[in-house]
Amino acid sequence: MKRVAVSGIGVVSPLGNSTEQVWAHARAGRSSVRRLEIPFANRLTAPIAATARFDEGAGIDPAQARMLDRFSLLALLAANQAVQGAHGALANVDRERAGIFVGTGMGGTLSMDGGYQTLYGERSDRIKPFTVLMGMHNAAAAWIGIEHGLRGPNMTYSTACSSSTVAIGEAWMRVACGQLDVAIAGGSEAPLSPGSLKAWEALHTVATMDAQDPTASCRPFSKNRSGMVLGEGAAMLVIEPWDRALARGADIRGEILGYGQFNDASHITRPSVEGQAAAMNAALRVAGIDRQQVDAINAHGTGTQANDRTETAAIRAVFAERADRIPISATKAIHGHLLGAAGALECVLSLLALQHRVALPTMHLQQPDPDCDLDYVAAMAREGMAAQVMLSNSFAFGGTNAVLVLGRAN
Amino acid sequence: MTTTFDRLCTILKKDYKAQPGQLTLDTPLESLGIDSLGTVELLWNIEDAFRIKLPSEPVDLSTLGDVVRYVDDLVVAQTVAHTPASNDDTALRAG
Repeated sequence: MKRVAVSGIGVVSPLGNSTEQVWAHARAGRSSVRRLEIPFANRLTAPIAATARFDEGAGIDPAQARMLDRFSLLALLAANQAVQGAHGALANVDRERAGIFVGTGMGGTLSMDGGYQTLYGERSDRIKPFTVLMGMHNAAAAWIGIEHGLRGPNMTYSTACSSSTVAIGEAWMRVACGQLDVAIAGGSEAPLSPGSLKAWEALHTVATMDAQDPTASCRPFSKNRSGMVLGEGAAMLVIEPWDRALARGADIRGEILGYGQFNDASHITRPSVEGQAAAMNAALRVAGIDRQQVDAINAHGTGTQANDRTETAAIRAVFAERADRIPISATKAIHGHLLGAAGALECVLSLLALQHRVALPTMHLQQPDPDCDLDYVAAMAREGMAAQVMLSNSFAFGGTNAVLVLGRAN
Repeated sequence: MTTTFDRLCTILKKDYKAQPGQLTLDTPLESLGIDSLGTVELLWNIEDAFRIKLPSEPVDLSTLGDVVRYVDDLVVAQTVAHTPASNDDTALRAG
């Protein structure tokens, strides 16, 4: 197996639209969760979300933009940014050995929702002609392939909240085993349509709005946590064999050491300690990393009662007494839950944490929970973290648990 | 009086960011970034603006002039179809 480098990173997210912006926000623990300002907000019990703010026309041909759902636009902008940062990763590459791996949970739900609004809300048959093309889950990956002329595997993964961790992991495998010379991998999600927001609300998994401070509504691992907050955005990586990146003089941002998966095969939503622990163990086994070498973890940490309690127990099951000494960051508190893009954004944050030697804070952890008794780096970033290896956890409705093992660029 | 071409140009300038200097009857749709797929959407917009119903069969249109002729033919056909004097039912009742 080859060593695999991350040589480019692109982000368009609630925390900002560059790695510098994202890092500054995350390190300071500044929440991007806001009161949602859309006409539909008054029909929501908790009108809060983490939105991405960006120049929607930047660098996109108007004729192309007309065919892009917001999730494809986010993906394309993030991919372009990653490719630009990778300084020539796609130049002179055999295009058939260059692939795209994108995770998304809800695909073009905004476009589909718009179609339903026309059909059922307005009782009109005038559905926009591009609705199918904008709604399909593989649209984002397709547009990235078209934009960069990549002719290798063009894959879309939809495993709910672990989609982009799976996408990055599957891309890693193809590069590590020598099948591909380069891959663009990550995730994108734009789930803030009225139908989607109400559907999540109906499931009773979203947080109640903090009346005093809406930005503090998502409280992972805090006893008074009440659920997740939806977010939108995209994060993309350019990954390639370490030696190829090195030979080109690329700015290597980190290393993907391995990836593991474990399917719960038990309940459609209920997380299991066994499944989450097995995914972490599988990732470590594949990476050839001993659990003693894991220095920090970016938790799935959704802020739901069930996940945070279960994830705590799973980390304890894997690391035993050492679990108490591992800094664990739950960054969804400030960027919300990007569903299919969450794993990719958290992978980026983990790589940046390793690079800057900082354990990112878990914000809004206001009340200790006896069931969540690990070191969550509450409230403030911890400088000087001597970490070489991090896990990035993603667990999902449907049971697809996925974990990336990430290394500092050395 | 505003012609079909004028109204088409209004749509192209507003929704497709076309420059006025680009727009003549001989302008290929492709030159405005409107390929066969884009034409489907353009016709959808036209259907609303001209209050006509497009046939479901695909149509091959290359230039703005082709679009103008296609729309004019439909407007005439559908106006005639909705004129009471030409309506068969009305004619029968009148008889």
